[in-house]
Amino acid sequence: MIYSSELIKGTLKTIVLKQLEGQRMYGYEITQRVKELTGNKIQITEGALYPTLHALEADGLVTTETEFIGKRIRKYYSLSPKGKTKIEEKVSELADFIQTMQFLLDIKPAMGQ
Amino acid sequence: MYHLTDTQIDFISDDLRARGVAMVSLQQDLLDHVCCVIERELDDDGDFEQFYQSAITRFYKKDLAEIETETIHLLTHKNYYVMKKIMLASGAMSTGLLLIGIVLKFLHLPGAAVMLVLGVAVLSLVFLPLLFTLKVKEQQHAKDKVVAGVGTFAGILMSLGILFKVMHWPGANMMCAVALGIVLFVFLPIYFFAGIRNPQTKVNTVVSSVLLFAGCALVLILVRAPGGTKKDYVAYTDYFLRNERIVQSEAQLLAQMSSDPSTQADGLAISQLCDEIKTFLVESETGLKRIDRDFEKNGTWISETYAQVYWSDAPEQAQKLQTLQKQIERYNQAHKNTVNFDPIALAPTALDPHERVRTLLNNLSQVQLMVLQNQRRLLASR
Repeated sequence: MIYSSELIKGTLKTIVLKQLEGQRMYGYEITQRVKELTGNKIQITEGALYPTLHALEADGLVTTETEFIGKRIRKYYSLSPKGKTKIEEKVSELADFIQTMQFLLDIKPAMGQ
Repeated sequence: MYHLTDTQIDFISDDLRARGVAMVSLQQDLLDHVCCVIERELDDDGDFEQFYQSAITRFYKKDLAEIETETIHLLTHKNYYVMKKIMLASGAMSTGLLLIGIVLKFLHLPGAAVMLVLGVAVLSLVFLPLLFTLKVKEQQHAKDKVVAGVGTFAGILMSLGILFKVMHWPGANMMCAVALGIVLFVFLPIYFFAGIRNPQTKVNTVVSSVLLFAGCALVLILVRAPGGTKKDYVAYTDYFLRNERIVQSEAQLLAQMSSDPSTQADGLAISQLCDEIKTFLVESETGLKRIDRDFEKNGTWISETYAQVYWSDAPEQAQKLQTLQKQIERYNQAHKNTVNFDPIALAPTALDPHERVRTLLNNLSQVQLMVLQNQRRLLASR
């Protein structure tokens, strides 16, 4: 099952920030990594990823470095100090949200948990 | 793994631009991304062009430019929240300032003017422009944007006009008239006819239009008609001329009774000073040294101007009012033991330079009459 883009939209910033924790990455790499980690369940579209990355950059949460790969430029995104402090806040907000959703939608925890 | 040639990279780069991606940094992101996809997913001997055309369609729903639109939207979204916060804060601030200002005004306490000016300034120069900027983003059609713009402009003009009115600043009537004209003849018709066509907005439009029209009508009810204004000015000018006649004939009668002008020299000095100030005010107000009996025909009447307007060009004339006040005090003191003397009792505000011209003229004539009456009493008691 692939999650709908509406579902992913609100959590995309958190997902992207978390991937950049401890390493710099370029756009394609982020989509591939998220796809692998979630067993193809979360496929970040280009149409959602780049606007988000640009917004994070404008907010000062990520910084970019450019490198030439032959004729083209590759942009590596990495966390800014401000972004590092923001991750924890974002993740705990999301965790709280998940708990609320579990209660609100009466979701039973899966077997074995 | 497919190996992209420089020509192919240029081809992709041109194609991205042709598809409407104008932001350079976004072009770089997308170019690298597409290249990565091709390199990883296309076989060494695969068909580049065919693969590219199908791969690029995965990037969007309708067209590639939507990525840029979304990026710009997200970048301005940040400002959107800040603007919204400022709008709400400025709205609360202007409401508070206006509330305090109105209370102070009615209690006639100091600070009212500052509060009202600040309140209206924040409302019309911060709150309304921000409201417009945010509302315009929500509107889809150019017509709705124009309606929002015209409405905001009229609202700003109206609130500034009313502020100018209460502060007695020039141009107030013109601003209010233009604002009301825009609302009634431009904004309302467009808003009304655009709104009633859509079944979803029909009821709201009718209700809002009625409220808006009623609001404008109530304001216009409060406004005195030009005809009424003229009648009022004519009445006041006539009133002034009558006073002048009474003062003059009283002085003539007195001169006939006694040929000795030295009986009350200080009284004469007061009367003369009153005449000087009156002449200055009449000349400033009408452009003439004296007002004729047929002033109505010439349109040279005394309006509702505040004398304040004229003092700034002639501070020595404003000084005369203070001198007069002192002279009257001395006059009252000097004659207090004289038999039958009636002191000139003036409220502290009677000779206030902030009064209207017509009020001052009236007060000055009354001072002259009281001086003349005292002289007559003096003569009678001899």
